[in-house]
Amino acid sequence: MSTVPSSWQDLARQSFMPQAGRIAEITDMTAKDRYFRIELEKPLGHRPGQFVMVSVLGVGEAPISISCGPRKDNMLEMVIRRVGRLTQVIHGLKVGDELGIRGPYGSGFDLDDFYGRDVLFVAGGLGLVPLRSLITPVVAEAGRFGQITIISGCRNPSEELFRNQLRDWSDAGINVTRLVDGTENMPWEFGIGLVTDPIPKLKLDPEKTVVALCGPPVMYKFVIAALMSKNVPQDQIFVDLERRMKCGVGKCGHCQINQVYCCQEGPVFRFSSLAGLPEALR
Amino acid sequence: MSHYLATKTSVVNWLRGLSSENQVYFPQKHGEVSYRFTPVRTDSDIQFERYAPTIVPPVKQLAPARDELLQFKRSESGKTEVRASLDTCFRILAGVRPCDLKGIFLMDLFFKNGAPDAYYLARRENTAIVGCSCVAPCDSRAFCEAVESLNHTEGADVFLTPQGGDDFLVEVKTELGKKLTSPAGWRPSEEVRRTSKPVQQFGRAFSASVPEITKLVAGRFNSPVWEKHVSRCFSCGTCNLVCPTCYCFDVADDLNLDVTSGTRTRTWDGCMLPGFAVVVGGHNFRAEPAARQRHRVKRKFEYLPEKHGHGAVCVGCGRCGRQCTSHIDIYDIVSDLIQEGGR
Repeated sequence: MSTVPSSWQDLARQSFMPQAGRIAEITDMTAKDRYFRIELEKPLGHRPGQFVMVSVLGVGEAPISISCGPRKDNMLEMVIRRVGRLTQVIHGLKVGDELGIRGPYGSGFDLDDFYGRDVLFVAGGLGLVPLRSLITPVVAEAGRFGQITIISGCRNPSEELFRNQLRDWSDAGINVTRLVDGTENMPWEFGIGLVTDPIPKLKLDPEKTVVALCGPPVMYKFVIAALMSKNVPQDQIFVDLERRMKCGVGKCGHCQINQVYCCQEGPVFRFSSLAGLPEALR
Repeated sequence: MSHYLATKTSVVNWLRGLSSENQVYFPQKHGEVSYRFTPVRTDSDIQFERYAPTIVPPVKQLAPARDELLQFKRSESGKTEVRASLDTCFRILAGVRPCDLKGIFLMDLFFKNGAPDAYYLARRENTAIVGCSCVAPCDSRAFCEAVESLNHTEGADVFLTPQGGDDFLVEVKTELGKKLTSPAGWRPSEEVRRTSKPVQQFGRAFSASVPEITKLVAGRFNSPVWEKHVSRCFSCGTCNLVCPTCYCFDVADDLNLDVTSGTRTRTWDGCMLPGFAVVVGGHNFRAEPAARQRHRVKRKFEYLPEKHGHGAVCVGCGRCGRQCTSHIDIYDIVSDLIQEGGR
């Protein structure tokens, strides 16, 4: 194996080799969701809506949404839900431990599609995690956008993510609607209902509005139907889709939506571009 | 490049000679009816006449069932050292039929285009291929001519064509082929390979051309044909595993007993397996077998041809139908789609 030319080694390094990241901060968000701030060797240079492959060598690797806006420092923020073997191990890590990171991957959002427009964010459950990578830069430059509205919903009060941040955004004058499907006997001072409920009541100028939405698979068609009845043009609706992924580089086949590789052409799509992809919102 | 005429004995001796210094793979009998690409020894039985397509196609030597990607070791200081496990051993695949040669040609495209795959390409660069043309259909399942792979020779370093009698036409197609054939001492020939269409259809035929089929398949997302052909499907994924152009994979880690070192390996996966498109939370984007079957067929006749700009990505080797427990045959599925399209 010592005779492998360096060009192959370089190529291999660009594909499946993770870079070391050091955990700089861990915060519990809910009983099963934990926020991680990772210090990388160099800036990630990502766009909002992109994702990274996160690994613990010896355990496995999984695609995880990037939750911070573009940044110049070496930091990466993610929220990881404990759902399987890998995430169980990641939840057991401490500040100072190493995580493997490769990426960023995917298309992401382009801020140029949002400047000068009214922006509506619709987030269901964990969908707020990737959307936060877009909300952060939009709120930071709020003057360059029209009216900014955030609708965030989750199952019950204990599952709400980024509570403090939602409050801060609200305090900063952003129109924030916080919803739960039900309070389940927990204290809750905000609304009850589905993320689709507030849409018919919104005063929005459809031609001037751009929408970014992310949530569980079942959410999309209902939110899109609500937006269509408000006459929001299809090419001004951006959806952030979820798929199984094993490589991130358009080879393993798991993320394919008809002919499109979600890991490369997505996970963010203009809704109008999904017309020829009947598997997209199934 | 150059052409030679050689007797069958001299070709066999040439391959045996190569095997003394190289890993040479040739289809050899495995059990009663099956063949496998296994390493040739100097006393191996090498016969070119009639062998059924091997259980798995030769391209799987380049994209093996278990393909180690990384080796890692955690040092005492807590730092983890990671290195890529590239396989650059030289090997020769001999006796590769045109359908399988086209399979390799297509896989070269898949792994080269987009993000180039170091693991496949490193193996490919260090692999010589000796192709061999078919004089008669291997069995009743083949439909290679119908999908335009019967006369495929691209990608071979040396290509052999039986000339009738005991002779082979040897076409040396690359520098590597020239190097490998130089010890053989065959006599140069002015002969050219005849690719004229056989009088009879070679293998099974479709009633539509490849461009017509790709167009027909593209238009048929909702069709009763998808449902019809899965009523007896076990979703076992055999069709994926034996396909020369299936390359989807899963990635998993193995930890050594010292618990500080281990490997990351990709293994074959298949879009017919029920859990292939399941995400966290349990949602399955292709929960019904018919949706998975449609995806498999569309990958061969619509999605990958469109992505890589190449005719059909099914090479007509017939393996999926031949080895399916329930005899579900992609040929029948495509034939039904053609018929449904009014052709």
